[in-house]
Amino acid sequence: MTQNNTTPVAGHFKRNPPIAGEADALERAKNGDPDAFSKLYALHKRRVYTLCLRMLGNVSEAEDMTQEAFLHLYRKLGSFRGESAFSTWLHRLTVNLVLMHLRKKGLQLVSLEETINPSEEDAPKRDFGSRDPRLSGSVDRVALERAVATLPPGYRLVFVLHDVEGYEHNEIAEMLECSTGNSKSQLHKARLKLREILRQNEHAALVQESK
Amino acid sequence: MPEHDEKRWTCEEFEKALPELFERAEGGKLSADPRFAAILRDCPQAAELVRDLEYIAETARMLLEPEGEAPSSDLWGKIEREISSKDSIQ
Repeated sequence: MTQNNTTPVAGHFKRNPPIAGEADALERAKNGDPDAFSKLYALHKRRVYTLCLRMLGNVSEAEDMTQEAFLHLYRKLGSFRGESAFSTWLHRLTVNLVLMHLRKKGLQLVSLEETINPSEEDAPKRDFGSRDPRLSGSVDRVALERAVATLPPGYRLVFVLHDVEGYEHNEIAEMLECSTGNSKSQLHKARLKLREILRQNEHAALVQESK
Repeated sequence: MPEHDEKRWTCEEFEKALPELFERAEGGKLSADPRFAAILRDCPQAAELVRDLEYIAETARMLLEPEGEAPSSDLWGKIEREISSKDSIQ
Protein backbone atom coordinates (compact mmCIF):
# COMPACT_ATOMS: atom_id res chain seq x y z
CA MET A 1 0.00 0.00 0.00
CA THR A 2 1.38 3.40 -0.88
CA GLN A 3 1.61 5.67 2.12
CA ASN A 4 1.12 9.08 0.60
CA ASN A 5 0.63 11.20 3.66
CA THR A 6 2.01 14.48 2.46
CA THR A 7 0.32 15.07 -0.88
CA PRO A 8 -1.63 18.33 -0.68
CA VAL A 9 -5.24 18.03 -1.78
CA ALA A 10 -7.03 21.36 -2.32
CA GLY A 11 -10.44 20.00 -1.38
CA HIS A 12 -9.12 18.65 1.86
CA PHE A 13 -7.71 22.05 2.89
CA LYS A 14 -11.18 23.47 2.24
CA ARG A 15 -12.90 20.72 4.23
CA ASN A 16 -10.29 20.56 6.98
CA PRO A 17 -9.58 24.13 8.05
CA PRO A 18 -6.99 24.56 10.82
CA ILE A 19 -8.38 24.15 14.35
CA ALA A 20 -7.71 26.79 17.00
CA GLY A 21 -4.68 25.86 19.07
CA GLU A 22 -3.65 23.04 16.72
CA ALA A 23 -0.56 24.67 15.19
CA ASP A 24 0.92 25.52 18.57
CA ALA A 25 0.17 22.05 19.98
CA LEU A 26 1.67 20.49 16.89
CA GLU A 27 4.95 22.36 17.23
CA ARG A 28 5.22 21.61 20.94
CA ALA A 29 4.31 17.96 20.43
CA LYS A 30 7.02 17.65 17.78
CA ASN A 31 9.46 18.88 20.43
CA GLY A 32 8.36 16.13 22.80
CA ASP A 33 5.87 18.01 24.99
CA PRO A 34 3.48 15.30 26.30
CA ASP A 35 0.76 17.83 27.21
CA ALA A 36 0.77 19.08 23.63
CA PHE A 37 0.32 15.55 22.31
CA SER A 38 -2.57 15.12 24.73
CA LYS A 39 -4.07 18.31 23.27
CA LEU A 40 -3.75 16.92 19.73
CA TYR A 41 -5.54 13.78 20.91
CA ALA A 42 -8.33 15.85 22.45
CA LEU A 43 -8.72 17.88 19.26
CA HIS A 44 -8.82 14.92 16.87
CA LYS A 45 -10.03 11.87 18.81
CA ARG A 46 -13.67 12.17 17.72
CA ARG A 47 -13.00 12.43 14.02
CA VAL A 48 -10.36 9.70 14.03
CA TYR A 49 -12.59 7.38 16.06
CA THR A 50 -15.66 8.11 13.91
CA LEU A 51 -13.66 7.47 10.75
CA CYS A 52 -12.48 4.11 12.14
CA LEU A 53 -15.99 3.22 13.30
CA ARG A 54 -17.53 4.01 9.92
CA MET A 55 -14.88 2.05 8.05
CA LEU A 56 -14.94 -0.96 10.38
CA GLY A 57 -18.52 -0.96 11.67
CA ASN A 58 -17.36 -2.30 15.03
CA VAL A 59 -16.87 -0.29 18.24
CA SER A 60 -14.14 -2.45 19.73
CA GLU A 61 -12.07 -2.57 16.54
CA ALA A 62 -12.61 1.17 16.07
CA GLU A 63 -11.17 1.84 19.53
CA ASP A 64 -8.18 -0.38 18.83
CA MET A 65 -7.52 1.34 15.52
CA THR A 66 -7.92 4.79 17.11
CA GLN A 67 -5.26 3.79 19.63
CA GLU A 68 -3.08 2.47 16.82
CA ALA A 69 -3.54 5.69 14.82
CA PHE A 70 -2.44 7.92 17.70
CA LEU A 71 0.53 5.68 18.54
CA HIS A 72 1.51 5.82 14.89
CA LEU A 73 1.03 9.58 14.97
CA TYR A 74 3.31 9.84 18.02
CA ARG A 75 6.06 8.01 16.15
CA LYS A 76 5.59 9.83 12.82
CA LEU A 77 4.78 13.34 13.99
CA GLY A 78 8.25 14.58 13.10
CA SER A 79 7.68 13.72 9.45
CA PHE A 80 4.66 16.02 9.13
CA ARG A 81 5.85 18.94 7.00
CA GLY A 82 2.62 20.90 6.71
CA GLU A 83 2.11 20.45 2.97
CA SER A 84 -1.49 19.50 3.72
CA ALA A 85 -3.81 20.28 6.61
CA PHE A 86 -2.79 18.29 9.69
CA SER A 87 -6.21 16.63 9.92
CA THR A 88 -5.97 15.59 6.25
CA TRP A 89 -2.60 14.00 6.95
CA LEU A 90 -3.85 12.34 10.14
CA HIS A 91 -6.95 11.00 8.40
CA ARG A 92 -4.92 9.57 5.54
CA LEU A 93 -2.62 7.90 8.05
CA THR A 94 -5.70 6.47 9.80
CA VAL A 95 -7.31 5.27 6.57
CA ASN A 96 -4.09 3.50 5.60
CA LEU A 97 -3.85 1.80 9.01
CA VAL A 98 -7.48 0.66 8.86
CA LEU A 99 -7.05 -0.71 5.33
CA MET A 100 -3.88 -2.52 6.42
CA HIS A 101 -5.86 -3.96 9.34
CA LEU A 102 -8.66 -5.11 7.02
CA ARG A 103 -6.16 -6.78 4.71
CA LYS A 104 -4.52 -8.54 7.66
CA LYS A 105 -7.93 -9.78 8.69
CA GLY A 106 -8.24 -11.73 5.51
CA LEU A 107 -8.41 -9.45 2.52
CA GLN A 108 -4.71 -9.60 1.76
CA LEU A 109 -4.88 -12.59 -0.55
CA VAL A 110 -7.75 -11.28 -2.64
CA SER A 111 -7.89 -7.86 -4.20
CA LEU A 112 -10.40 -5.50 -2.65
CA GLU A 113 -11.88 -5.04 -6.11
CA GLU A 114 -13.31 -8.53 -5.88
CA THR A 115 -13.89 -8.58 -2.16
CA ILE A 116 -15.88 -5.35 -1.96
CA ASN A 117 -18.51 -6.55 -4.40
CA PRO A 118 -21.40 -7.61 -2.19
CA SER A 119 -23.70 -10.51 -2.82
CA GLU A 120 -26.70 -10.12 -5.13
CA GLU A 121 -29.12 -9.81 -2.26
CA ASP A 122 -27.13 -6.92 -0.79
CA ALA A 123 -26.93 -5.11 -4.10
CA PRO A 124 -29.36 -2.28 -4.79
CA LYS A 125 -32.31 -3.22 -6.94
CA ARG A 126 -32.25 -1.82 -10.48
CA ASP A 127 -35.81 -1.36 -11.62
CA PHE A 128 -35.67 0.91 -14.63
CA GLY A 129 -38.87 2.70 -15.45
CA SER A 130 -40.62 2.03 -12.17
CA ARG A 131 -41.54 4.95 -9.92
CA ASP A 132 -40.99 4.68 -6.21
CA PRO A 133 -41.81 7.26 -3.60
CA ARG A 134 -38.94 9.70 -3.45
CA LEU A 135 -37.11 10.67 -0.30
CA SER A 136 -38.99 13.23 1.72
CA GLY A 137 -36.06 15.64 1.89
CA SER A 138 -36.02 15.46 5.65
CA VAL A 139 -33.37 12.78 6.06
CA ASP A 140 -31.17 13.97 8.88
CA ARG A 141 -27.61 13.03 9.70
CA VAL A 142 -28.70 10.51 12.35
CA ALA A 143 -30.88 8.63 9.84
CA LEU A 144 -28.11 8.70 7.25
CA GLU A 145 -25.48 7.60 9.78
CA ARG A 146 -27.65 4.61 10.74
CA ALA A 147 -28.25 3.73 7.10
CA VAL A 148 -24.52 3.95 6.31
CA ALA A 149 -23.81 1.54 9.18
CA THR A 150 -26.02 -1.08 7.53
CA LEU A 151 -24.29 -0.91 4.13
CA PRO A 152 -22.25 -3.91 2.97
CA PRO A 153 -18.58 -3.25 3.93
CA GLY A 154 -17.32 -2.55 0.41
CA TYR A 155 -20.04 -0.03 -0.34
CA ARG A 156 -19.53 1.56 3.07
CA LEU A 157 -15.78 2.00 2.56
CA VAL A 158 -16.12 3.78 -0.77
CA PHE A 159 -19.07 5.90 0.38
CA VAL A 160 -17.27 7.04 3.56
CA LEU A 161 -14.03 7.77 1.74
CA HIS A 162 -15.67 9.69 -1.13
CA ASP A 163 -18.84 11.33 0.14
CA VAL A 164 -17.90 11.88 3.78
CA GLU A 165 -14.11 12.22 3.80
CA GLY A 166 -13.92 13.89 0.39
CA TYR A 167 -11.32 11.69 -1.34
CA GLU A 168 -11.28 11.61 -5.15
CA HIS A 169 -11.88 8.36 -7.03
CA ASN A 170 -8.24 8.15 -8.14
CA GLU A 171 -7.12 8.38 -4.49
CA ILE A 172 -9.64 5.75 -3.42
CA ALA A 173 -8.58 3.49 -6.27
CA GLU A 174 -4.98 3.77 -5.11
CA MET A 175 -5.90 3.09 -1.48
CA LEU A 176 -8.18 0.14 -2.26
CA GLU A 177 -6.00 -1.16 -5.08
CA CYS A 178 -8.90 -1.14 -7.51
CA SER A 179 -9.70 0.75 -10.71
CA THR A 180 -11.24 4.24 -10.65
CA GLY A 181 -14.15 2.80 -12.64
CA ASN A 182 -14.75 0.28 -9.88
CA SER A 183 -14.63 3.02 -7.25
CA LYS A 184 -17.21 5.08 -9.19
CA SER A 185 -19.43 2.07 -9.68
CA GLN A 186 -19.23 1.08 -5.99
CA LEU A 187 -20.06 4.62 -4.91
CA HIS A 188 -23.11 4.72 -7.17
CA LYS A 189 -24.30 1.36 -5.87
CA ALA A 190 -23.72 2.54 -2.29
CA ARG A 191 -25.85 5.65 -2.88
CA LEU A 192 -28.59 3.54 -4.54
CA LYS A 193 -28.54 1.14 -1.60
CA LEU A 194 -28.73 4.03 0.87
CA ARG A 195 -31.70 5.46 -1.02
CA GLU A 196 -33.40 2.08 -0.79
CA ILE A 197 -32.71 1.78 2.97
CA LEU A 198 -33.77 5.37 3.71
CA ARG A 199 -37.00 4.98 1.74
CA GLN A 200 -37.81 1.75 3.56
CA ASN A 201 -37.17 3.49 6.89
CA GLU A 202 -39.37 6.43 5.91
CA HIS A 203 -42.13 4.05 4.85
CA ALA A 204 -41.84 2.08 8.10
CA ALA A 205 -42.05 5.32 10.11
CA LEU A 206 -45.17 6.38 8.19
CA VAL A 207 -46.84 3.01 8.81
CA GLN A 208 -45.96 3.29 12.50
CA GLU A 209 -47.42 6.79 12.69
CA SER A 210 -50.66 5.75 11.05
CA LYS A 211 -51.27 3.02 13.63
CA MET B 1 -18.27 16.37 -21.76
CA PRO B 2 -18.70 16.75 -25.53
CA GLU B 3 -19.61 13.11 -26.20
CA HIS B 4 -22.74 13.57 -24.10
CA ASP B 5 -23.73 17.04 -25.32
CA GLU B 6 -25.72 16.02 -28.36
CA LYS B 7 -26.72 12.58 -27.16
CA ARG B 8 -30.38 11.66 -27.17
CA TRP B 9 -30.72 9.50 -24.09
CA THR B 10 -33.29 6.93 -23.24
CA CYS B 11 -34.18 6.86 -19.56
CA GLU B 12 -32.42 3.52 -19.14
CA GLU B 13 -29.24 4.69 -20.90
CA PHE B 14 -29.17 7.78 -18.73
CA GLU B 15 -29.59 5.82 -15.50
CA LYS B 16 -26.86 3.40 -16.54
CA ALA B 17 -24.47 6.27 -17.27
CA LEU B 18 -25.13 7.99 -13.93
CA PRO B 19 -21.95 6.86 -12.08
CA GLU B 20 -19.79 8.52 -14.75
CA LEU B 21 -22.09 11.52 -15.21
CA PHE B 22 -22.15 12.29 -11.49
CA GLU B 23 -18.36 12.13 -11.36
CA ARG B 24 -18.05 14.65 -14.19
CA ALA B 25 -20.80 17.00 -13.01
CA GLU B 26 -19.67 20.31 -11.51
CA GLY B 27 -19.80 19.85 -7.74
CA GLY B 28 -21.55 16.51 -8.28
CA LYS B 29 -24.71 18.50 -9.13
CA LEU B 30 -26.11 16.83 -12.22
CA SER B 31 -29.53 18.44 -11.86
CA ALA B 32 -28.00 21.89 -12.32
CA ASP B 33 -26.35 20.99 -15.64
CA PRO B 34 -28.39 22.41 -18.54
CA ARG B 35 -27.16 19.62 -20.83
CA PHE B 36 -29.32 17.17 -18.89
CA ALA B 37 -32.36 19.37 -18.45
CA ALA B 38 -34.24 17.66 -21.32
CA ILE B 39 -33.68 14.09 -20.16
CA LEU B 40 -34.52 15.01 -16.57
CA ARG B 41 -37.73 16.67 -17.77
CA ASP B 42 -38.67 13.69 -19.97
CA CYS B 43 -37.83 10.96 -17.42
CA PRO B 44 -39.48 11.80 -14.09
CA GLN B 45 -38.17 8.63 -12.45
CA ALA B 46 -34.59 9.49 -13.46
CA ALA B 47 -35.10 13.05 -12.21
CA GLU B 48 -36.25 11.71 -8.83
CA LEU B 49 -33.33 9.32 -8.69
CA VAL B 50 -30.86 12.12 -9.43
CA ARG B 51 -32.53 14.38 -6.87
CA ASP B 52 -32.35 11.68 -4.17
CA LEU B 53 -28.74 10.70 -4.91
CA GLU B 54 -27.63 14.34 -4.85
CA TYR B 55 -29.48 14.79 -1.57
CA ILE B 56 -27.75 11.76 -0.04
CA ALA B 57 -24.32 13.02 -1.16
CA GLU B 58 -25.04 16.50 0.25
CA THR B 59 -26.23 15.10 3.58
CA ALA B 60 -23.13 12.87 3.75
CA ARG B 61 -20.89 15.95 3.83
CA MET B 62 -22.47 16.87 7.16
CA LEU B 63 -21.16 13.63 8.64
CA LEU B 64 -17.53 14.78 8.45
CA GLU B 65 -17.89 16.62 11.77
CA PRO B 66 -18.93 13.92 14.25
CA GLU B 67 -21.62 14.56 16.83
CA GLY B 68 -21.71 12.41 19.92
CA GLU B 69 -19.40 9.61 18.82
CA ALA B 70 -16.23 9.48 20.91
CA PRO B 71 -13.84 6.75 22.00
CA SER B 72 -14.18 5.54 25.59
CA SER B 73 -12.72 7.82 28.24
CA ASP B 74 -9.98 5.34 29.20
CA LEU B 75 -8.48 5.19 25.70
CA TRP B 76 -6.12 8.12 26.31
CA GLY B 77 -4.77 6.34 29.40
CA LYS B 78 -4.01 3.25 27.31
CA ILE B 79 -2.24 5.37 24.70
CA GLU B 80 -0.19 7.16 27.38
CA ARG B 81 0.85 3.85 28.97
CA GLU B 82 1.83 2.44 25.58
CA ILE B 83 3.91 5.52 24.77
CA SER B 84 5.62 5.45 28.19
CA SER B 85 6.49 1.76 27.92
CA LYS B 86 7.94 2.21 24.43
CA ASP B 87 9.85 5.35 25.44
CA SER B 88 11.38 3.53 28.43
CA ILE B 89 12.56 0.68 26.17
CA GLN B 90 14.25 3.09 23.70
